[in-house]
Amino acid sequence: MRRPLILALVALAIESPPCSAQLVVQGIRDLDFGPVIQGIAATVTTANPTSSGQFYFKTPAIGTRIRIQFTLPTQLNGPTGATMPITFGASDALAKGTAPASVPVSFDPNKTASFTMTSSLDANVWLGGRVTPAANQRVGNYSNTVVMTVTIF
Amino acid sequence: MRLFTTVSVAILASLSLAGSAAAQTSGTITARALVRQPITITNGQDLDFGVVIQGTAKSISETAAAAGRFDATGTASANVNVNFTLPANLINGGNNLPIGSWAGCYNQAAAVNSIGCTTIASMAGTTPTAFGNVAGAGRLWVFVGATVTPGAAQAVGTYTNTVTLTLTYF
Repeated sequence: MRRPLILALVALAIESPPCSAQLVVQGIRDLDFGPVIQGIAATVTTANPTSSGQFYFKTPAIGTRIRIQFTLPTQLNGPTGATMPITFGASDALAKGTAPASVPVSFDPNKTASFTMTSSLDANVWLGGRVTPAANQRVGNYSNTVVMTVTIF
Repeated sequence: MRLFTTVSVAILASLSLAGSAAAQTSGTITARALVRQPITITNGQDLDFGVVIQGTAKSISETAAAAGRFDATGTASANVNVNFTLPANLINGGNNLPIGSWAGCYNQAAAVNSIGCTTIASMAGTTPTAFGNVAGAGRLWVFVGATVTPGAAQAVGTYTNTVTLTLTYF
């Protein structure tokens, strides 16, 4: 009775491809506002080659339909409990496939966006945003986490 | 046979769950900013060559009493880049008095002091430094000297122009 059990386990293991090869999402670059001055709002656009946030995702096949959803913070957290508002505008996300013919698509990171992977298996998504430090904003480092979730549907 | 059946079902169930998890994946980045105080720069002192003789170059060292000086404040210990916009000539109407060279230095001391001033290697380039930290206040004194080279037939009169200092956090 033991031999059939072993064969069944081996067969199942071979037929199951690694799940990580099916859909990959990676954070590539932080959204970095750099030094900002008290009382002066600062904006980073998706076109900023060094400061915009960047994600990468890879899908299993051409024709895959996906949804992109961000979990966006409303504030950055600073020293000794200080916070600073951060907002994201309707065109603060930009997706572009890696295929040469891919066309960049701007979308609202505050809303779920749906795409069909027509020419690329993978794509980059850039994220911009805006921080509005108060005139008496406490000086120091502020940060928070941005999550991008990709769902195949 | 009961054991075989039970194990197989358990494996199939785990594969199904794994497939479901793969259909939704997340990546994470950090949004970050560095809050700084506004930078203030005031004219501490004009660069004054005084009386200049036709045909005779005159230099004012960046550490001389007559050197130009900018007085700046910002966030204590914060990094800043120093840049100048420097004129090539002093001007009197349509007459130019050439400026042969520029020199500069900076100090982060509590009070105005060009002694121990750090030389700025390239007045035309960008010089990274930082505000000092004087009891929590960021101070930076920037001193400027230059050499004027009047021609032998330089038109007499008063010549002036503007020197601009730009400080940028980085």
